[in-house]
Amino acid sequence: MPAPDIRIVQPVLAFDATLEDAARRAFSDLAERWYRHGSGPAADEPERRRSLLRTVVDLGFADALPAPDTRDAWPDAAVIIRAQARFAVPVDMALLLATGDREASIGGDPSEYVCTARSDAPPDTNAAAALALGRCLQISSAMQAALELSLGYVQQRKQFGRPLARFQAIQHSLAIAAEEVAASVAITDLALACMVAEGGASARLPALLDAAAIVAGRGVDVVYDVCHQVHGAIGFTREYALHRHSLDLLRWRDHLHALCGGELRCAERLGALAIAANGLWPGLTSLMKGGDSE
Amino acid sequence: MPAVVFHFPTFEFPPEAEALRRDVRAFLAEERAAGLWRPGGDFATHYDPSFSRRLGERGWLGMTWPEQYGGHERSALERLALTEELLAANAPVAAHWIADRQSGPLLLRYGSESQRREFVPRIARGEIFFSIGMSEPDSGSDLASIRTRATRVDGGWRIVGQKVWTTFAHLNHYAIVLARTGDAGESRHEGLSQFIVDLKASDVTVRPIVNMAGQREFNEVIFDGTFVAEDRLVGEPGNGWRQVTSELAYERSGPERYLSCIRLLEATLRCAGRDASPRLLEALGRACAKLIALRSMSITVAALLQNGETPDLEAALIKDLGSAFEREQIGVFRALKTELHPPSAEYLGALAEATLYAPSWTLRGGTREILRGIVARGLGLR
Repeated sequence: MPAPDIRIVQPVLAFDATLEDAARRAFSDLAERWYRHGSGPAADEPERRRSLLRTVVDLGFADALPAPDTRDAWPDAAVIIRAQARFAVPVDMALLLATGDREASIGGDPSEYVCTARSDAPPDTNAAAALALGRCLQISSAMQAALELSLGYVQQRKQFGRPLARFQAIQHSLAIAAEEVAASVAITDLALACMVAEGGASARLPALLDAAAIVAGRGVDVVYDVCHQVHGAIGFTREYALHRHSLDLLRWRDHLHALCGGELRCAERLGALAIAANGLWPGLTSLMKGGDSE
Repeated sequence: MPAVVFHFPTFEFPPEAEALRRDVRAFLAEERAAGLWRPGGDFATHYDPSFSRRLGERGWLGMTWPEQYGGHERSALERLALTEELLAANAPVAAHWIADRQSGPLLLRYGSESQRREFVPRIARGEIFFSIGMSEPDSGSDLASIRTRATRVDGGWRIVGQKVWTTFAHLNHYAIVLARTGDAGESRHEGLSQFIVDLKASDVTVRPIVNMAGQREFNEVIFDGTFVAEDRLVGEPGNGWRQVTSELAYERSGPERYLSCIRLLEATLRCAGRDASPRLLEALGRACAKLIALRSMSITVAALLQNGETPDLEAALIKDLGSAFEREQIGVFRALKTELHPPSAEYLGALAEATLYAPSWTLRGGTREILRGIVARGLGLR
C-alpha cells in the first residue's frame, strides 16, 4: 500500500503581531490578578495558580509581567487568550480562563450576561475576523464544558433508583448535544486552520466564519436546551456552575452574530456565494479548498 | 475521566485529490452531455452496470487497493474526492457501491488469498457487484439475533434462513451473508461467520419487495439448504461479528450520509438562479454551513481510516448528524416552493423523490436510535 499522504493543519500560537500583543497583555493581566490579588476562582487553589503561571511562562508571555492596565481592552483581548488557550494549555486551564473572562467582563446582574457584548466590529478586517474566530473558539470551549458538566451530573444523580445516565431518553439527548458540539468544533477548527494558513486577509475566511457562526449558533441552542434539561432545577440556579457556561454561550453567540451583521446575513451571504458559483456543491468545495483557491 | 468530547482534527485534501476532482467533474460533464444517464436517485437506487464498468476502466473502482489485486494504490482522500463528486452529481453508482465501499475491503482484510485473487480484481473492473446479507425478518437493529444458520457438510456449508431488505439482490452477483455457525456465547457476538453466496445459484431464491415509492430495489433472499463451498467462508469461522463491525466505519462516515438531499438543494438553486429571494438565500446558506461542518468531519474520518485507526464512534456521529440534516432539508425546501416562479420540473421531481425516500435515510446503515446509542456509549453513558 502507498504511504499515507495526509497533511494535518496545525494551529500556531500567534495570528499576527498585533493580536499577539493583545494576547500577551491580557494574559499577563490575568496571571497577575490571580497571582497578586488572589481574585477569581483559583484564589484558594495555589497549585492551579502556580500552574497558570507556568503556562504563562511556557507560552513565552512571562516577560510581559507585570501587566499594563488593559482593562478597557479586556473582553476582546481575552477572546484571543482563549483562542490560544484551547490549543496551548490543558482543558482545565482553558476552563479557568473562561471563568476569568466571564468574571472580568460582566457584572452580577443576570440580565447583563446576554446583552453586554460589544457589537461594534473593529475597523480592521483582520482584527474583526480574529475576534469572530475567537468567539467561535470560546463557544466551542464553553459548549464542551457544559457538556462535560452534564455528563458528570447524569452519572451521579439518581431518580427511580438509578442514575439518570441509565435512561435511554437522557442518553439520546446528550448524544444529540455532543453531535452539535462536534460540528461546531470541527467548523471552528476549519476556520482557524484557514486563518493560520492564509492570515486574516484570506478571501475565503469571512465565508468560513459565516458558516461557523451559523453552525455554532445552532449548537448553542441545542446545548442550552439539553444541558439544562438533564440537570433539572439545579442547573437553573446561581449556586451551580452550569449557568456560567450557559450565559457565556449566550453572550458570546450574541457578540459573534453581531460581529457578522446578524445570523440571517451570514446565511444570505453563503447562499449568494452558492448562487454565484452556480451550485451549492461547487461553491462549497471551492470555499473549503485551501491555498491555491482558484 | 474519559475523553467526553469528540474531536475531529482538520485535514485537507492533498493536491492530487483536487486534481482528480477536476478530472471526475470533466468526465461526469462529458457523460451527461452524451446523454448516457440522467442525474437522479442516490447510491442505493441509481443502478447502471455500464457506468460502473466505465469507472472501472478509468481506475476509479478499488482505488485504494493494492495493485496486485487490481487496485490502484491511491489515497483514501483521493477516493473520497471521487465519491463526493459522483454523489454530488447523482451519478448511477448503485451497482458497484457496496462492493467498492465494503465488500472489497472486507475480502482484502479477512479473505483468503484465493478469494482476494478471484473476486477483488473483478470488483475493481466493475464486473461483479455485491449485496449486504445482514438484516433478517426478525433481526434489524439487533443484528446479533440473526437465525440464518450455516452447518458444515462435506466440502463446505449448507445455509438455511432468510435475509431481507437486500438491495439489488436481483441484479447483483454475490451477497456477503452473515450466518450463525456456532454458539452465541454470553456476548451473543460469538459463533457468527460470513460467506460469499452466489445470488444466481439455483438453490438461492430472490423475491422482490416493492418500496412505498413504487420502486423495486429491495429483495428478500431465501436460503433453503443452499450449498456454499468451503472456500466461500470469509475469514475464520466464528469471527463474523468482528468482521461485520469493521465494515461500519466505511459504511457510516462517507458523503452518502449527508448528500442524499443535494439534488433537491441544487434543483432549487438552479430554478431560482440570480432571482433567488432572501428566504431562499438563507435556506441555501444554512444548508451550506452545515454541509461544510459535515464534510470537514467526513474528511477527518477518511484520513483517520487511512492512518489505520478505526473511528467507528466518529462515523456513527457523522451519520446521525448527516441523516438528520438531510431529512430537515426536505421540510425547509418544500416550504420554499412558493419562492420559485414557477417551480421547475426538476425541483418538483427531486422534492417528491426526497420526500418518499426520506424514511429510509435514517434507517439504512444503522438507525438513528442505534447511532445515538453508540455515541452515548462513547460519552461514557452506557
